[in-house]
Amino acid sequence: MFRSNNVAARIFERQISSPAPGTSVHCARRFYENIVPSHTIFDMECPDILFRKFSDDGQYLITFSRNHQDLIVYRPTWLSFSCREQDCHDHELPSKANKFESFFTQLYTVTLASSGELICKDFFLYTEKNQFGIFATSTAQIHDAPAVGGAIQGIPSIEKITFHLVRLEDGVILDERVFCNDYINLAHSMGVFLYDDLMAIVSLRYQRIHILQIRDSGNLVDVRSIGEYCREDDELFLNSSAQCTPNPDRNRTHNIENGLDHNQHTPEAPFLGGLKQRLLSFIFRGIWNEEDDPTVRMQCLKKKFYFHFQDYADLVIWKVQFLDRHHLLIKFGSVDGGVARNTDNHPAFFAVYNMETTEIISFYQNSADELYTLFELFCDHFHSSSKNSFYMNFLSTHSNNIHALEQLRCNKNKASSLPQFVKKMLATLPINCQSQSPSPYFDHSLFRYDEKLISSTDRHRQSTDHPIKFISRRQPNILKFKIKPGPESGSADTRTKKISSFLFHPILPLAISVQQTLFLQPAVVNIHFRR
Amino acid sequence: MLGSWPSIDPHNFSQFKPNDPSNSKRMTPVTYRPTHDRTVPPPDQVIGPEAKNILVRHFYQHAEEKLRTKRASSENPSPERASKVPSFCL
Repeated sequence: MFRSNNVAARIFERQISSPAPGTSVHCARRFYENIVPSHTIFDMECPDILFRKFSDDGQYLITFSRNHQDLIVYRPTWLSFSCREQDCHDHELPSKANKFESFFTQLYTVTLASSGELICKDFFLYTEKNQFGIFATSTAQIHDAPAVGGAIQGIPSIEKITFHLVRLEDGVILDERVFCNDYINLAHSMGVFLYDDLMAIVSLRYQRIHILQIRDSGNLVDVRSIGEYCREDDELFLNSSAQCTPNPDRNRTHNIENGLDHNQHTPEAPFLGGLKQRLLSFIFRGIWNEEDDPTVRMQCLKKKFYFHFQDYADLVIWKVQFLDRHHLLIKFGSVDGGVARNTDNHPAFFAVYNMETTEIISFYQNSADELYTLFELFCDHFHSSSKNSFYMNFLSTHSNNIHALEQLRCNKNKASSLPQFVKKMLATLPINCQSQSPSPYFDHSLFRYDEKLISSTDRHRQSTDHPIKFISRRQPNILKFKIKPGPESGSADTRTKKISSFLFHPILPLAISVQQTLFLQPAVVNIHFRR
Repeated sequence: MLGSWPSIDPHNFSQFKPNDPSNSKRMTPVTYRPTHDRTVPPPDQVIGPEAKNILVRHFYQHAEEKLRTKRASSENPSPERASKVPSFCL
């Protein structure tokens, strides 16, 4: 590592010595201690747009129009100006520095949403290899939608959800995938997970996991649909089997009992869905294998399985992520929790499912210590960074950073009850895809910052008037830079609640902070960069 | 050269030309024959990378451990038991 903190000395040292094996990125990152976004331009003039994020390779800034209909993509450039006089360093920046266009060049505007639809402003996924962006538009949500056509009761319905695959280089819409009368959790890309070129879309309403592949040509290809069927040819097999004819009399009495009286109804499948069957049989076999004695075994089965059978059978898929190309981590829970924002009080379970062998590998409750231990040790692998994504391989988490681990252990010791702490930590699983910023300023071995005020996780936070300090780790108590959202003098009205969001460029010392109040006042946009 | 290390085949190193021309003696290495076959690799052995990442491997390992430990789990009957934290060799 470097012997001096001086950037020139470090550059000379870099010329003559090579870093320890496997640490070249970490060594290069140390230069970010010297190059920080220390200058802020407050309340810059920018067009009335909604900021989403920088793409993970830093090539594009993704924004949406205020009316949620258009996608506007910018290229981050850098402020440039010339000065004729001699000692320019102390001069003020020219007035054009206050303009958004000095830092960003607009590449194009594309209309994604037709009338009646809105772009989901929290949804954006990026494939680094081909520079494709995935966006979502949807129509309005219908609550209390009737459960027809295989849908489950209790989940709202959206008339039309469209996923658009856009080539960000020029804004051409390459492909679309439409889901009708379905419900997919689009906020913060929760219902969709991208791994390399595979996309998993969770249809909460029909309880299916759609796996799609993004081809290099820009086409979205269906790979499989897991839920009702596990293998691609299950449906064919069941349809051709004579035992599969549904019983219409049984369905009619069932519906009358429920008070439903629609004449047109699709016959309910007599079997539980394929994935549910796999899950129930896994739980059964696990309990069966625990005991050798047949009597004790039956007692165990009655107590642990049959007593809870209906609860297990009623579990619904909430969320899914890829662990690798073949394995999915699926979160199950009750129907009420599927759309609820706060799922703390709902029981939840995790299952690891192998898509190729269609087997469930393991099943845990959300308070399982075993799963928490894996989360603590191998958090990086839950982030599923694929080989194509260079910058995402170096996120600073508690599994690869001693400072983050100390912070986690500290929180664990402070927690009033360990099972509650475990549940809270495991509630972050499955993780939201691409929700962490790869910016080196969030690296815990370089900087110390208040995680409650700012962190690499991409979500809105409550805003304070005080600037957020980034303090150097290696030189304790030396403040490297500050990020202050909102106007320079602080806002006059301290009572209204303000929320801030931060967009850090993955490579350049450039960050945008956007402060909004909950009413329709214009947002205050600050830009932080190295002058 | 390589000192006086033995070799299994006396014909090994027969083409070796030493850098130092003064020492032009071609040495046949000392041969040895192993007295056991514990170290011989199986004839159909193929060494390749592990396809699963470490996290997925641990999930499979846990599943196998649960299959094997039939006796210990009967002490704690409830399904929501706080299971013991396993120790890892990393």
